[in-house]
Amino acid sequence: MTLRKYIALVRAGIMESLHFRLGTAVTLFANLIYLVLVYFLWKAVYDSSGVDVVNGMTFTDTMIYLILATALFNFLEMFIVWDMSRSIQSGGIILDLLKPMQYRSYKFWSYSGSHVSQFVLAFIPTFIVVMIVTKGAIPIGLNLVRFMVSVILALVINFSIEMLVATLCLYTESTWGINIVKETIVLVLSGASIPLAFFPESIRNIISWLPFRAIYDIPLQVLLNKGGSDTLEGLAKMWGMQLGWCVILGLAGVLFWNHAVKKITVNGG
Amino acid sequence: MSENAIVLENLCKDFKVLNRHEGLKGSIRDLFSRDYRTVSAVKDVSVTVKQGEIVGYLGPNGAGKSTTIKMMTGVLEPTSGTVLVNGLVPYKDRTKNCENIGVVFGQRSQLWWALPLIESFKLLKDIYMVPQKEYDEMIELYRSLVDIEPILHKTVRQMSLGQRTLSDILAAFLHNPGIVFLDEPTIGLDVSMKSKIRDLILGLNKEKNTTVILTTHDMGDVDALCKRIIIIDEGKKIYDNDIEHLKSYFGSYRTLRVRLDNKDTWEETLIDEKKTDVMTVITEYQKAHKVKDIQLQEISTEEVIKKIYEGGSV
Repeated sequence: MTLRKYIALVRAGIMESLHFRLGTAVTLFANLIYLVLVYFLWKAVYDSSGVDVVNGMTFTDTMIYLILATALFNFLEMFIVWDMSRSIQSGGIILDLLKPMQYRSYKFWSYSGSHVSQFVLAFIPTFIVVMIVTKGAIPIGLNLVRFMVSVILALVINFSIEMLVATLCLYTESTWGINIVKETIVLVLSGASIPLAFFPESIRNIISWLPFRAIYDIPLQVLLNKGGSDTLEGLAKMWGMQLGWCVILGLAGVLFWNHAVKKITVNGG
Repeated sequence: MSENAIVLENLCKDFKVLNRHEGLKGSIRDLFSRDYRTVSAVKDVSVTVKQGEIVGYLGPNGAGKSTTIKMMTGVLEPTSGTVLVNGLVPYKDRTKNCENIGVVFGQRSQLWWALPLIESFKLLKDIYMVPQKEYDEMIELYRSLVDIEPILHKTVRQMSLGQRTLSDILAAFLHNPGIVFLDEPTIGLDVSMKSKIRDLILGLNKEKNTTVILTTHDMGDVDALCKRIIIIDEGKKIYDNDIEHLKSYFGSYRTLRVRLDNKDTWEETLIDEKKTDVMTVITEYQKAHKVKDIQLQEISTEEVIKKIYEGGSV
């Protein structure tokens, strides 16, 4: 019955994030402003190019991609790096270490609750609005189920990257710079701010093998039935890559963290 | 469960500290410096605590109390010596050890800030895998010891410091651990809350036979709760015995206060009962004066502790 702990943590996470309901409203509002900006930016890009299809994507395609990417970003956003560095500096991390669970899994399940509520409060409404506005540009079918699988894998990858960076900060004792670098790299290379189709081919080839794509681009492709995700082979390739990165980053994270915990337990943080 | 809840043998803990230099130039030099010095926080401490005891663990600030507690909870690895808590080596089996200990830090809370207390309790119940029946019994016991109704549905961030500390103590006992570590639980609390919390700790200790390790700077806590105290200073254990014995640590001192003739002021004499007894002193007074009033004061725990911290004889 170890499942009981995890469900309890997720439940508490949902309740906690709902407690700050105003925060969700502010996030939605900020998104709106950001999306207006994105709209005009890309409108200008398409207008000046003089053609309707750029890099295989129409203006509508690009907008759908970017709006959903933003919604996904709100839902996947994590603050582990900040939280952890703060709790190490204040010494509060000791309370987490004193829970009868592995620190990593304790953190993962504690954060999962807010992901669930963000998914319902931020992603689903955005998705519905996009559906209505584009009048069915997003296919509805098995792709939704496949998308859910992809999103969960993306969540694990994102968590692993966060944990790796957070652990790194433990050694460097500075958080801000490293975290900004990480955020920029993830946002640019994952397709969250520019669709990957717009990168030059040689760079795109490299990016397609990096883990960042597995966080935003792959789930979005799966959702939109693009990039061959509607064929069995294409889907297997995408999931295989996500799964592969889950394992690699997870393993690296565990090893790195175990080493870092030693540092805490030997030197007292 | 074994009879000894905690066994420490020749426990030592050293920290490696970088020697920092002054100024901007020094700061830059520190980036590449390998100039470490070793600081011994705990030196050769051996202690055995039986199941069900309440032990006061005292020492001046920076004496190594927290370091010892961290080693007993498994967050720190000892440099040498052995720690056994409930028969486990804490730093090797941290997760398992945590199932059978409870910890309260007076300065921070393990509760979920945004949630009502009852939700934190339910969450802890699930994390520690407490069976529903035991959980219900525990809540029943809490009800009989303190009035928890008014705080049960309050979120932790809306609580006063006293209510929060009370909640934290209840949370630490919730999974009925064999040992509870209380690190300055009454810090910053008012007199009535302090006594409420002392009663609660005593009640839980009695009902559940929980071992309690208490660090505090409030001698009221020590007098109310502890039969046995351990004092460490500069990492070394300097006292380990019952509290009664402590008072005769520097000899049996008592203060005699007398009011003589028609004066309104009290005259004080410190009497070492090993050398003279009180009656002799009073007789001396009576020879020369008319004694109007007499008071006899025992030396307080606080005064003894103060003497020890200030480096009285060891």
